[in-house]
Amino acid sequence: MSDQLTYPDVVSLAVPFFIVAILVELAWIVIKGRGGRYETRDALTSLIMGAGNVASGIVLGFVAWGVFMALWRITPLDLGTAWWVVVLCFVLDDLRYYWVHRFGHRIRWVWASHVNHHSSQHYNLTTALRQTWTGTFTFMMIVRAPLILLGFHPAMVLFVGGLNLIYQFWIHTEAIGRMPRWFEAVMNTPSHHRVHHGRNARYLDCNYAGVFIVWDRLFGTFVPEQAREKVDYGLVHNLGTFNPLRVAFHEWIGLFRDIAQHGLSWRERLLYAVAPPGWSHDGSRQTSDQIKAAQLERHPEDRGGPGF
Amino acid sequence: MPLEILLIFVVAGISGIALLLHLLGLSRGAVFADEDAARAAWLREFPYETPGRITLSSDRRAALVCTDRGTGVAWCLGADTVARPLAGADLRATEAGLRILFHDPALAPLTIALSAPDRAAWQNKVRFA
Repeated sequence: MSDQLTYPDVVSLAVPFFIVAILVELAWIVIKGRGGRYETRDALTSLIMGAGNVASGIVLGFVAWGVFMALWRITPLDLGTAWWVVVLCFVLDDLRYYWVHRFGHRIRWVWASHVNHHSSQHYNLTTALRQTWTGTFTFMMIVRAPLILLGFHPAMVLFVGGLNLIYQFWIHTEAIGRMPRWFEAVMNTPSHHRVHHGRNARYLDCNYAGVFIVWDRLFGTFVPEQAREKVDYGLVHNLGTFNPLRVAFHEWIGLFRDIAQHGLSWRERLLYAVAPPGWSHDGSRQTSDQIKAAQLERHPEDRGGPGF
Repeated sequence: MPLEILLIFVVAGISGIALLLHLLGLSRGAVFADEDAARAAWLREFPYETPGRITLSSDRRAALVCTDRGTGVAWCLGADTVARPLAGADLRATEAGLRILFHDPALAPLTIALSAPDRAAWQNKVRFA
């Protein structure tokens, strides 16, 4: 069984493309006067978060790699490196991404890492690069274990994961309206992903897909963009800072402060870590489900509509 | 890609894009046009806490918002807005106005530009709200 398999680091190779694409989008917005918004400090924060994500991968990447290689050594399966194996790996890894992303919105421990990606009130190509510095600490690398145990080499799994991330770059834009119908039916698109970044009650916790939107359609989490309800980007309660350190760590600090409160049972402490974001032991905050319920209480006509 | 080349791309890319955005005038901060704009900023974050009295800061970048559940503040952050209740926050008078410490890691300390009389008025409103 081969240990020595290498693929190009596609995310690093894509950096020049990211820069050029951002400049093209910016030129489009400035010249046309539509298709999105840019603000200097917001964009700078997003870009620094992206650079920090690459740096954290360099510093902490050995943890996931060590786990993956340990699994690779114990599995009796090896699917090889044929092109169709890479394609199959890409599709199955996208299913893996769907679930990790869904956990990222429904489990506060994972949300503490992912929240920074949603913390911009803008939606442009720099937002795509506003990535976590703390992904390693969510332990979500374990969701890749089945792929490796099935015989996909760890290097291949990381390679297709990089391709997945690069695909998701271009969908972070308001400059593209809708793609052809067949494409919107199968693939994740700017329209679908705009919805995912919405803080509107209707748009919370949906469209988790990376590349193929079919996962959301399959698992009942798909919400189409509504012409009558413009997406309001950002968090339910937006950040009051552009400081990358606060952006990266604020939810972790909040989580540990909550866990350390006096007078809580061990169950309550655990729930502060694993319950959906917004859960609190005294009901003083709202989860996305409670936000949707409050919206329906005031707007019962929305019941049964997309997102409710 | 060699690490040194990647580093050059990242540093040059970030610096160049930030400089370009600034030169395009995209660093200008938002201000509240009037009380209604501040009210809308509050309702955007707390749709079920109806604002009553609104008091704008002298530079119109922040507003004190009184609701039936207490007092809060809405402020401009870059091109956008943020709002929070003031419960649990510390207010400190400064030469330029007020500084608010929220004790929330998601919020940087907030400096609000106020004239001396306005500063006293804000502090009173917070105290008696």
